[in-house]
Amino acid sequence: MMLYALYAIVILISVYTARHYLFTLNRLFGFQRHPYIDIDTAAWPPVTVLVAAHNEEKVVAHILTALMGVNYPKDRMLVVPVNDRSTDRTREIIDRFCEDHPGRIHPFHRTGGKGGKAAALKDAMELVKTEVILIFDADYIPGSGLIKQLVAPFFDPEVGGVMGRVVPLNVGTNLLTRLLDLERSGGYQVDQQARMNLRLVPQHGGTVAGVRLSALHEIGGWNDNTLTEDTDLTFRLLLAGWKMVYQNRSECYEEVPETWQVRIKQIMRWAKGHNQVLVTFGLELLFGKHRATLRERIDGFWLLGVYAMAPLTMMAWFLALALFYEGVAPFQGVIALLAFTAYSATGNFAAFFEIAAAARLDNTRQRVCLLPFLVLGFVVSVFSVSRACVDQLMAPITGAQFHWDKTERFRTTP
Amino acid sequence: MNPAFAAVLLVLLAGILFTLPLLPALTELRLKRDAQPLEVIRQHAGEIRHFSYGFRTYITNLLEPLRQCTSLGTTARGTMPDGDQYLLLGRADNTRFLSTEGTTLTCQLVVAAGVDVVLPDGVTFAKEVYAAGEFTGGEENVFRALLGEKEIHVRRGTTVIRWAHAVGAFRAERDCDLYGRISSDHEIQLDSGCAFQRLNAPRIMLGRSGTQETNVDTETVLTPLPGGRRVVDKDLEIQPGEIVSENIVTRGKLHIGAGARVQGSVKSHEHMVLEAGVHVDGSLISASTMRIGRDCRVTGPVIAEREIAIETGTRCGSVLVPTTVSAPMIEIADGVTVFGTIWARTEGQVVPQR
Repeated sequence: MMLYALYAIVILISVYTARHYLFTLNRLFGFQRHPYIDIDTAAWPPVTVLVAAHNEEKVVAHILTALMGVNYPKDRMLVVPVNDRSTDRTREIIDRFCEDHPGRIHPFHRTGGKGGKAAALKDAMELVKTEVILIFDADYIPGSGLIKQLVAPFFDPEVGGVMGRVVPLNVGTNLLTRLLDLERSGGYQVDQQARMNLRLVPQHGGTVAGVRLSALHEIGGWNDNTLTEDTDLTFRLLLAGWKMVYQNRSECYEEVPETWQVRIKQIMRWAKGHNQVLVTFGLELLFGKHRATLRERIDGFWLLGVYAMAPLTMMAWFLALALFYEGVAPFQGVIALLAFTAYSATGNFAAFFEIAAAARLDNTRQRVCLLPFLVLGFVVSVFSVSRACVDQLMAPITGAQFHWDKTERFRTTP
Repeated sequence: MNPAFAAVLLVLLAGILFTLPLLPALTELRLKRDAQPLEVIRQHAGEIRHFSYGFRTYITNLLEPLRQCTSLGTTARGTMPDGDQYLLLGRADNTRFLSTEGTTLTCQLVVAAGVDVVLPDGVTFAKEVYAAGEFTGGEENVFRALLGEKEIHVRRGTTVIRWAHAVGAFRAERDCDLYGRISSDHEIQLDSGCAFQRLNAPRIMLGRSGTQETNVDTETVLTPLPGGRRVVDKDLEIQPGEIVSENIVTRGKLHIGAGARVQGSVKSHEHMVLEAGVHVDGSLISASTMRIGRDCRVTGPVIAEREIAIETGTRCGSVLVPTTVSAPMIEIADGVTVFGTIWARTEGQVVPQR
């Protein structure tokens, strides 16, 4: 039994390995899809930009300043800072910007209600009158052309959501920020763009992103019962037949966590939210009657299973040890040798290959040298995600409630 | 050998062997040679005139000497701060020095003309050319880049390698190769046989029979982006003369019959055909190829992931509602007018009427 469980996990890991290679090779040698990025002249539609802000006094002024400087027609863009129960100076800063830019910023100050970004966005929808909605977290700094780039895909009547590329700003702070920079690079430059190229399922990231109001209404609005409203949104849109577009050239700076504690909290929240969506939509996505194509169903399922792989990997480690001490050899002779060699030569390095390819595509030189240290990030992620999964499984017994952990900010520059 | 020493040596050697592959990583971590954020394009944001703006700034210091040359009717040479040499032309007839009978001449100077200028044939300009007055090139000239404060007229067989911007109209005679960015604050007119990549102007006329009026489609007003859509999982045909008032997404081929009108946007996953006289009030999107027939009207962006062919008499956008036509390959017939941008990532071509 243990042996078959180990085999099953090895097969799953092999599929993810193949997926990494497929995506990386597609990015390096395949046809790149950027169908909407060339729309630079158009009758730009009215757009509402929601800025999610919960205790963001360190960063909120930066994003509001950046948004006031974008090249989108001023009379067609309304910025709505969603001040979610902040207890610091966030409200004061937002109100000052409102006075300085009359008619261009309409704040939504939320003083009570359910916690979490999705709940705040849901409440803020009362101010949204436009068909196109863009969403930013408060620590992001959009460039001047970004709004047009993110709005352009909505000229396609099949597009329900759009996602831009996240680029860390505080890269050089410490080892963690440098590792996160590499991870983001692999995740966006290769993973997301390859899914776009292959017409699979690019994922909505909940920031540097947009959604079509009519699509949002069709799927029942924001889901405030999830920890990752972005993943939830991705799959509800997919099931309703809307397309998600990823635009690799729509880049926006963000601040990544600078301490391991903050990073662990962040990734645990992502894991729990992602697994929620896996449980809710996994089977329906694979076998349900809806408009997703076969390739979207398969890729979507693998995408949903990403965070489930960490506890499975740990389980495989324990199973392998247990089997060893039981005297059971999962593989023997030449097969074992070949399997071990093949895995060492390829499987082991699939994710690293992806990140190295991303660094190459980004035309960077030295940062790829840090690749070996990613093992550290990998181990931390495996344990954190596994712990999150165990917490989640135990929740019905322990009675633990899911709660939103806001990601701490580190920016100090004015 | 002392066993303790051997053990220490073993640990040491093992440690060195383990650390060796990490040396580049440790060096980078310590020296931070590549620890800056990725350079994100934030300033010019894809602005087609970015390089012309940069060049105008670059030659700012030449403008006053150029005015003096123009008032005196003289020519002057000099060196820019970056070492490039320049030539200032203050008289219309002093471009003759550029021509050499029967041979191809390459001009290695940044050229700035203060008066209306007509260039000789067959000259290659390896540096930028600036014209304060009307500019007329010679046949089969090659320009690296071109900035004109008034009208630019390039003659048959001209090649523009990087960019050209005209504050007035930009006109290209037949068989020109216009690589990179061509823009005008007024209008662009390309004759048959011209190849292009990226064009931007309030009005772009392909061929000599494009729309000449200045107030066409003034009845077209900005309409809000409509929501919702009808999704069809197979091929779809809209009948000739039919009026459809919704967004349409078809996952197969789409055929819109002659004279039909779609009050919304249209998307097809496979080949899309618009027969003659079709009106689309929204955008046209094809995940494959697209053929737009004669005398069609499209208000919104026209995008195909592979190829677009547009037949004569068609207009995309309007004076009040400019738009973008974009695909890797674009073939536009003589007599098409686009208001805004045409962007062919691989190649665009103006072809004679069929």
